Amino acid sequence: MCILLCSLCCLNAAAETIRVTTRENAVRGDCRFFAPVKLKVALGDLLTVKGRKGDWYLVSARGVNGCIHKSAVESRRFASSGRGAATGGSSADEVSLAGKGFNPQVEAGYRKSGKNLNYAAVDEIVRITVDEKSLETFVLQGGLVQP
Amino acid sequence: MLVKLVLMLTLCLLTTGFSFNDLTPDRINAITSTVMSIGKAARPLGDDEEYYVGRAVAARITSTYPLYRNSRLTEYLNLIGQSIVLHTDKPTTFGGYHFALLDSPEINAFACPGGIILITRGMLSSVQSEDELAAVLAHEIGHIIHRDGIAAIQSSRWTDALLVIGSNAAREFGPKETAKLVSLFEGSIDDVFKTLVVNGYGRDQEKAADAAALGYLAAAGYDPQGLTGYLNRLKQAGQGSKGGILTTHPGTEERLENVREAAVASVDTAALPRRNKRFANMTR
Repeated sequence: MCILLCSLCCLNAAAETIRVTTRENAVRGDCRFFAPVKLKVALGDLLTVKGRKGDWYLVSARGVNGCIHKSAVESRRFASSGRGAATGGSSADEVSLAGKGFNPQVEAGYRKSGKNLNYAAVDEIVRITVDEKSLETFVLQGGLVQP
Repeated sequence: MLVKLVLMLTLCLLTTGFSFNDLTPDRINAITSTVMSIGKAARPLGDDEEYYVGRAVAARITSTYPLYRNSRLTEYLNLIGQSIVLHTDKPTTFGGYHFALLDSPEINAFACPGGIILITRGMLSSVQSEDELAAVLAHEIGHIIHRDGIAAIQSSRWTDALLVIGSNAAREFGPKETAKLVSLFEGSIDDVFKTLVVNGYGRDQEKAADAAALGYLAAAGYDPQGLTGYLNRLKQAGQGSKGGILTTHPGTEERLENVREAAVASVDTAALPRRNKRFANMTR
């Protein structure tokens, strides 16, 4: 029983790295949005945790130190022996397949289901972005609060 | 979570006449795998999976309501939405937040899981200021962050999904497994779509989304009273007609009362005229 408990507990052992869970994100020079981007990171990238500051992780990756918001990373910690430290180790598909099975493969099957679906519109919507400079200006001009 | 799983497993082993002599490395691996699977079934959808659910829901909605392609207004909508999102508990999602307009005179708004928010031209015409429009978006952001759409999926589908994917996270599913998962996915999308478009969320979910919206608006620097203004527009619209958001969001009077009673932090309204001016410029 001890062996079993140990093997299970090892899965949860605190390690040095966390994983990016959004398609793309940024390690910033300061722990706030709109701070200069020091490094662009992608889904599955592993980052070394140096500390915490409020809702932000202080991290290190590819020789760069900076901050990433907690909502962009998996709070569960990963063994540093894991693949692809901060180099885009696991693909989007690999990460998504680790869950309930709803992934691009299933979406592709659903598209063929004959239902009335407008994925072209969805692809158009998810391409909509606003650049950070425009957003910062919009916030300032509208007398809104800087995040 | 792990402690719960270990306790659950220990209980199972003890109640099934488990003997320590039975423990071989292979059995340990099998048991570990089973425990991880149980954990997976109990866990809500991952952000990435929620994204695919949201895409499918949006694909169904946009097959009924076509996109309103006005790049200026769409950018304005996204600037307001992003200004709010950055002050929430979840400023980033797997695929990010995206806001779009639908070409329909009906007054309606939809929060698709994962971060796609759709509002109709009718909704845009019904609000009278940027702060009211911000309130509409903040309410929908609340539904996304509370995962209200995902909560509409029947829980039995999760156990069915577990039966299909088994204890190992396959890198790629075979045709049989894929077909079963597509069927489960389809059922899940039906559940969410029905809630968003036909039945609406529960009263508690609406109340919670309104409460969250008040907090997001205040944190972002928008006047939380914008939510009162928006609900008043809904109330006025409800006096003349039915349908759209009035079908899926009943009880506007009750929502207004809840919002009035909520303790709302006061915000500096000095910049309100500037925001009203840019709203007028954008929507004229």
